[in-house]
Amino acid sequence: MDEVLQVFLTFLRLGALSFGGGMANLPEMARVLMANGWVTRQEFADGFALGQFVPGPNMLAVVFYGLAAAGLPGALAALAGMFLPGALGAIWLVKGWQWMARSQWSRALRKALVPIAMGLSASMVLILVQVGVDAVGWLLGVVVAALLIHRGVPVVWVIGGGALLGLLVGLA
Amino acid sequence: MPWFELFLAFLQVGLVAFGGGGNAQLYQALVLKRGWMGEREFLETTALVRVLPGPIFANTAAHLGMRLGGLMGAVLALVGVLAPGSLLMLLLSFAYFRFGAVPGSLAESALDGVAAAAIGLILATMVRQAPVALDSLKAVGLAAGVFVTYGLLHWPLLLVLLVHVPIGVSLYWGEAARPWDGAGLEVPPRG
Repeated sequence: MDEVLQVFLTFLRLGALSFGGGMANLPEMARVLMANGWVTRQEFADGFALGQFVPGPNMLAVVFYGLAAAGLPGALAALAGMFLPGALGAIWLVKGWQWMARSQWSRALRKALVPIAMGLSASMVLILVQVGVDAVGWLLGVVVAALLIHRGVPVVWVIGGGALLGLLVGLA
Repeated sequence: MPWFELFLAFLQVGLVAFGGGGNAQLYQALVLKRGWMGEREFLETTALVRVLPGPIFANTAAHLGMRLGGLMGAVLALVGVLAPGSLLMLLLSFAYFRFGAVPGSLAESALDGVAAAAIGLILATMVRQAPVALDSLKAVGLAAGVFVTYGLLHWPLLLVLLVHVPIGVSLYWGEAARPWDGAGLEVPPRG
């Protein structure tokens, strides 16, 4: 039970801090989860990759991490911790949004969060390359995938293509 | 609005929202298909939701559910968009820990390929947003400051935000003086 509570509190903190999209906290999540011994480096990367196969928010990989840390209750605790802070804020925003739209600090905050989110995304790419890309060949794969998506190839195809290519490499 | 209908609408979105296209799917389902809210109302509220922490798609769903059906509507909307993906994720995770967690296995190798593609997706999104997001020296400075402290120096995220958010707000304070004219609204891609 203590373990489950610890999982919940860990993800609650991560969820409350992930400004600029759900994955902004990924670098910190990787560090914290690995330091707690809940997942290995490889498992963290694999959980993130599995998360690409399911519909819904990208951060459903937290289900995987919670399961690894404390079984099924851990999975539920991670899910609740990750999504509750933002959802509660979003519910409150129904009452507060007119005030938010008018107030100067909230407009300044919205503007400031755009470049901050870019910095968070860049950090995210860095940590993902560090934990998830263990062969130089895959680094090329990252660039090719980015190019294809930039050219307008549907994301689902590129992800599927990555899986196929991985299978072929595994067979070779 | 009947709760069952509301739940069904969000559940359908939760079933098909692959690849981070959640907000576009919500737009399709609520504005275009069912006409439950106007276009402008949808865009204004989803733009505001972006200041909140956590996944934008899930937050948007909770917000729209609250608008449409009160607190119960918010809960149903959130469960609707999260349940399909969470259950599938749980099954995949069980399978992984039962069969797939073998270094050098085929599954492992396939996941390496998926991870590379997914990182490519984040990179492509950044490249697309960069011209708009990094449109001034202060924007570049803020982004670089976050990247150096968070990505390279491994500061805790809370500290990174405590330093950069106040700096960012003060840098943009002047620009934010005029009332909001709806700038920054973007129509989600259809389809």
